[in-house]
Amino acid sequence: MPWRPMALTLLAVLCLLPIFVVIGLAFRPLTSSETAGPTLESFIHVLTSTDLPIWLRNSLLSTIAATVISVVVAAPAGYVISRGRSRAVSAFSLGIFVVQSLPVVIFVIPLFMVFSRLHLVDSLTGITIIFVASSLTVATWMMAAYFDSIPASLEEAAWIDGCSVLGGFVRIILRNSLPGVLSTAIYSFLLAWNDYLIALVFLRSEQNFTLPIGLQTFFQQNATDWGPVMASAVIMMLPPVLIFAFLNRFFSVGGIGGSLAGQ
Amino acid sequence: MVVVNAYPVLYAAQQSLHDGSLIAQGPFVGLENYRTVLTDPSFWKAVRFTLVFTLCGVLGSWLVGYALALAFRRPFLGRSILKVAFLLPWVVPVVVTSMSWNWLVATASSPIPQFFAALGMPDVLFLADPTLAVVMVCLFKIWISFPFMFLMMSAALEGIDDTVYEAATVDGAGRVGALLHITLPLTAKSTYISWVLMSMFTINDFPTIYLLTGGGPVDATTSLVVLAYRSVFQSFQPGYGVAVAFLMTAALIGISLALFRSIRKAD
Amino acid sequence: MQDHRRRPFTRRTLLSATGALSAGAALSACGSGGGSSSGGGDLVFWDMVWGTGADYTALAQELAGGYEPEDDALGVTYQSIPWANWYQTFSSAVASGTGPAVSTGAAFQPFSFLEDSAVVPADGAIALLEEQGKADFLPGLLESMHTEQGYAGIPWGLDLRVLWYRESMLEEAGADVPTTWQEYLDAGKKLKAAGKIGFGMAAGSSTTDAQHSIFALFINNGGGLFTEDGEPFADSDENIEALEFVEEMVGEGIIDPRSASYTSDNLDSDWAEGRIAMGFGQTGFDKVMKDPVSSDLRVMSPVTSTNGSTGTIYYINAIMLYENTPDQVSSDQYAAWWATQTDEFWLQDVMIDLPVTERLAANEKIASNPNAVIAIEEWQPIGKTLGAKAPAAFGALNSVDGGEAAAAFVQQVVQGDQSPRQMLETLQSELEQLM
Repeated sequence: MPWRPMALTLLAVLCLLPIFVVIGLAFRPLTSSETAGPTLESFIHVLTSTDLPIWLRNSLLSTIAATVISVVVAAPAGYVISRGRSRAVSAFSLGIFVVQSLPVVIFVIPLFMVFSRLHLVDSLTGITIIFVASSLTVATWMMAAYFDSIPASLEEAAWIDGCSVLGGFVRIILRNSLPGVLSTAIYSFLLAWNDYLIALVFLRSEQNFTLPIGLQTFFQQNATDWGPVMASAVIMMLPPVLIFAFLNRFFSVGGIGGSLAGQ
Repeated sequence: MVVVNAYPVLYAAQQSLHDGSLIAQGPFVGLENYRTVLTDPSFWKAVRFTLVFTLCGVLGSWLVGYALALAFRRPFLGRSILKVAFLLPWVVPVVVTSMSWNWLVATASSPIPQFFAALGMPDVLFLADPTLAVVMVCLFKIWISFPFMFLMMSAALEGIDDTVYEAATVDGAGRVGALLHITLPLTAKSTYISWVLMSMFTINDFPTIYLLTGGGPVDATTSLVVLAYRSVFQSFQPGYGVAVAFLMTAALIGISLALFRSIRKAD
Repeated sequence: MQDHRRRPFTRRTLLSATGALSAGAALSACGSGGGSSSGGGDLVFWDMVWGTGADYTALAQELAGGYEPEDDALGVTYQSIPWANWYQTFSSAVASGTGPAVSTGAAFQPFSFLEDSAVVPADGAIALLEEQGKADFLPGLLESMHTEQGYAGIPWGLDLRVLWYRESMLEEAGADVPTTWQEYLDAGKKLKAAGKIGFGMAAGSSTTDAQHSIFALFINNGGGLFTEDGEPFADSDENIEALEFVEEMVGEGIIDPRSASYTSDNLDSDWAEGRIAMGFGQTGFDKVMKDPVSSDLRVMSPVTSTNGSTGTIYYINAIMLYENTPDQVSSDQYAAWWATQTDEFWLQDVMIDLPVTERLAANEKIASNPNAVIAIEEWQPIGKTLGAKAPAAFGALNSVDGGEAAAAFVQQVVQGDQSPRQMLETLQSELEQLM
């Protein structure tokens, strides 16, 4: 039907109105400047006269680190859950489910106390660790779900050929799991990139701020100056959007439920 | 992971049994905080709103997501670009989108009220009227969540073998019939799972509500998790707030487990 | 057979990884001894972001950098703390022993921290100021900081609420500048007829603006939320009378029904666009606004209420000294020194709040600003804290200011569905629960 793309495009435009607002306002000039009409002024201001580039760097560092570590830890864990159906494993899976259900609010203060003993407060390393911990549960499920879809016969064949369990894991499973790995990576990335509460409590000096916190302080100091605020918002939006634009083929969430229900 | 998560949970449990401030433990009061919570009308108001919010959010996003998944089933011109476009509400950070929604409706000079005024309609208090605020929050949640449902249902639809439809057409089934009697039942398991997952995410969802309305007006949009946060960090009653959080979590886990078990049985 | 070979390997790996992490954690905890985070023996000073924001912080850092301690007192490291979720920041730091030695903060913070023994009385530092002749505080301020244990902090800034009006808008609407509540209503009605808001405020759940304005009106009428002993008494006759005045404004449309959801940004943008003609605001409000609004803003003289009283609310910003300091004497010295340094902020025009000393009030810069003069001479003496009618503030006020009870209260007020007495009785029972 020829009208399908048209109808959907119209719907998309309507639906994305709030996002167009953000982009549109980002081209507004600074209230302190003389320019009228759309301009790149706000973007330039935000990139050269504020700490935004530092926040951007911090966000990128902590997010990418958290993503990599998450995937590296979640993969074997997911493998265990997928293949091992023992009671201990089910209990473990249940345990992480319980923990996942608790709102972050509860964790914040006691966790802070532990971290301050470890001198991990006000450091990117500290928040990276928390990001990993927060995303591990769902990441593990996602990997388990994906592995569920790979028939065990493949590894068995490898073992018969003399491969070790680890070898089988790496050579057969991981090689065929690109979509699963990417899904998990994207999920962890989003979680860390968008995080607000954790960074808020654990980061103190402006040099260490990530984008969400930086954006917030920026917003408070320049309340009605929409140009720069929205320009920073656009910059904050770009990495997730770009990642999704190019990698969404690989992002599959359909399997999560399967592994959950199986417990 | 266990280490990072276990200690805080135990500490928080302790907090809920004391009557203190954020920095001092305070005297031990046993289950008194829980008693206060369970007899407080604000708590039950939050329960009611959480139910409304979750039902609307889950069903609303599922309906929209499913409809889109169906529309996107067959390839067409511009499919990939449009797919990314429809994922954006979920991908763009809530901090950003909530600022934008607020800008669109909050004051009299905001675009949407101006638009309504131009059409000659009376003043609509989008965020200031309690009922409308609830509507706005639910709409916002549906808007943010439908992409997730869209992805899940798309995956589920992919799993259906086309031959089933051929057989149905031979038997004389129409489009609607095929939808109701073939497509829906075949994706039932994914549907139920997506409902449970989304419910979990929604009940725990703090930023979506808090960033848009702060829980107001007059606590109309205060869900359980917002209540817990406000009690701890605005009213400085950590004992009460943590008790709310634990009660909520217990209910959540109980319901989820029951649902998962029934899904597994239905398999 | 498959389970047999897989499980031991991977589960063991996981468990041992967890074990290693906890062991490492335990070891490093033992090794570090869990001391405070001050670097190189310096005092840590946490300062909030005050005044005009970025300019303030830059100046503050410069000033702190110039501190030269006497004898062998400790030096200082300055840290700027954002306002967002300030209580979480401070309480988690204090709870874990990594907090500062000296800080500025929110109005009731010194009181609640003093009650919890996280902060020590500031008497030592104030004595130092008196020796230097710099303790010339404006009337009533130091007394408002006094508790049973001593002074909760050193006042350094005053967040005073005054009534602002747009001169041109009142002229256009043919309204006179009000001097009583009745005149305020008359002016408000004329403004409403011209399509303007006569009492602008933000009552959303994330801001305390409306709470401050309405409680200011209670104090204006000789009331307040508490008795002289600090017991909650929200439904007093004075408060009910004041609320009736507010409800009349709601009824006449002088208060915008939209304000029930307003954030402070929404309020600011309404002022900036010229929709609001009168309302409470901080003393530096005209500096926050830009022209043409800015030069059109005036402070009116205090208005007399229904029962003939005047009054307003204020929040004293204080410097507080913490229990967790490497050296108390150094803390006292630094705090007293900083109190005198704050003069610079007003002299260099980066402050929105009012100064608290006679010497600054007399200073050319302040004295030449008519709005500031009216604020200091006419409004400051009649101001009281949120704890009115108790003589000083106290820690529990933290739960009131910005808490759910107060937020819900002001939203109900804007909706105007219930009677003043009912709404105040609800507030009263909520306050009793909080105390």
